Amino acid sequence: MVAKPKVAICWLGSCGGCDEAVVDLNEAILQVTSAVDVIFWPVALDFKYHHLEALEKGEVALSIINGHIRNSEQEEVAKLLREKSQLVLAFGACACFGGTPGMANFRSKEDIFNWVYRDAPTVVNPKGNYPQPRSQANGKELTLPEFYEQVFALNQVIDVDYYLPGCPPPPDLIANAVNAVLEGKLPPKGSTLAPHKALCDTCKRNETKPDKISIKDIKRIHEVEASPDTCFLAQGILCMGIATRGGCGESCININMPCRGCFGPVEGVEDSGAKFISALAAMLDAENDEEMKQLIDKLDDLAGYTYRFTLPVSLLQRKRA
Amino acid sequence: MSDFEPKIVCFSCKFSWGYLANETSLSSQIKNWIPIICSGKVDAKHIMEAFKHGADGVLILGCPEGDCHYQDGNFETKKRVQLLHKVLDSYGIEPERVRMELSLDPEGKRIPELVKSMSETVRGLGPVRQI
Repeated sequence: MVAKPKVAICWLGSCGGCDEAVVDLNEAILQVTSAVDVIFWPVALDFKYHHLEALEKGEVALSIINGHIRNSEQEEVAKLLREKSQLVLAFGACACFGGTPGMANFRSKEDIFNWVYRDAPTVVNPKGNYPQPRSQANGKELTLPEFYEQVFALNQVIDVDYYLPGCPPPPDLIANAVNAVLEGKLPPKGSTLAPHKALCDTCKRNETKPDKISIKDIKRIHEVEASPDTCFLAQGILCMGIATRGGCGESCININMPCRGCFGPVEGVEDSGAKFISALAAMLDAENDEEMKQLIDKLDDLAGYTYRFTLPVSLLQRKRA
Repeated sequence: MSDFEPKIVCFSCKFSWGYLANETSLSSQIKNWIPIICSGKVDAKHIMEAFKHGADGVLILGCPEGDCHYQDGNFETKKRVQLLHKVLDSYGIEPERVRMELSLDPEGKRIPELVKSMSETVRGLGPVRQI
């Protein structure tokens, strides 16, 4: 009997939603597990890091890694998986672009520690203790992973073969990706295993989009009763669909929420935020500076909005030295 | 701080700025001068790229308001810059580092002056702060 290919599934800085998305394959997961050996999946099965360390180099056919990297443990595990794997798939928005936690890169590590361990109203820390990578207790040395200065996407730390974005990736694309690996029908290295065009291309509201969108007043989704069929931008509600890769199945659009951009930039675009800003500027219907200012003042956190999932890989972020 | 020499990238529209000037001699006076056809061509991405490559400030020179050769390219970029100010601020890049001037100067004599004055503004701010 030919040995089944080995697959590792791992979470780094992650909420668990991506692992849940794998479970959401439902019955299809049985087909997957009959075709492969899952040799590592911390969230679901009791494997330890030393099980991974015992493997030969390249023994794992595919590592599916979700989550960003912000501490030394995450970096260590990512590097270990890379060493043992023939292919690495960055799975989900955090692994592909840094994800929502990547927005922490607008703050320094110091700011974050001060808030979390000193200034937040719920904190009682009279001794001013901060977590340390190494500390002494009862004559023993205790260690914690080191918290890095910033959040990294997976490809800023290890070599990544394929990308599957989404928060989380939808079941059909996961099944396609796994099948492509099993059947050896993979696109060139570095490809994103999702459609190339923008979400608007498949959005069913596209029919209601006027030739020229002109926004006179920016509205937020919770402030209005949004029409369930009309293009959000035509209603003056910001939607990232114009600058975001499609393939998600429009799960947000279908429940009357505008796109937030979890699939990242469309094919060939490096910075979806910059593209969105340029497009948005063209849509804002202001006659003069004053009207423009009034419109812009309504945007509370434009940077957070445009880089909700992609800040660590954006143009202006420092790359790892 | 005294030896800090700000790097300014200047995009200028050829329809209003320096089209009568000798481009070679003018470009020898201005480092990082990029003559373009219509300031409307300047995308948010280009401005961000400039900062990514080490610029301390970006100056965009466009045609007088209402006088764009392509209807309203200058005003479109002005809107873009206003939006971008807000985003750049989150990155720690002060709005003063991206300036737009809409005017007419066929000889291009004011371009070195404007770059110089932009340099002075940016010198006061210091180098771009890394987040």
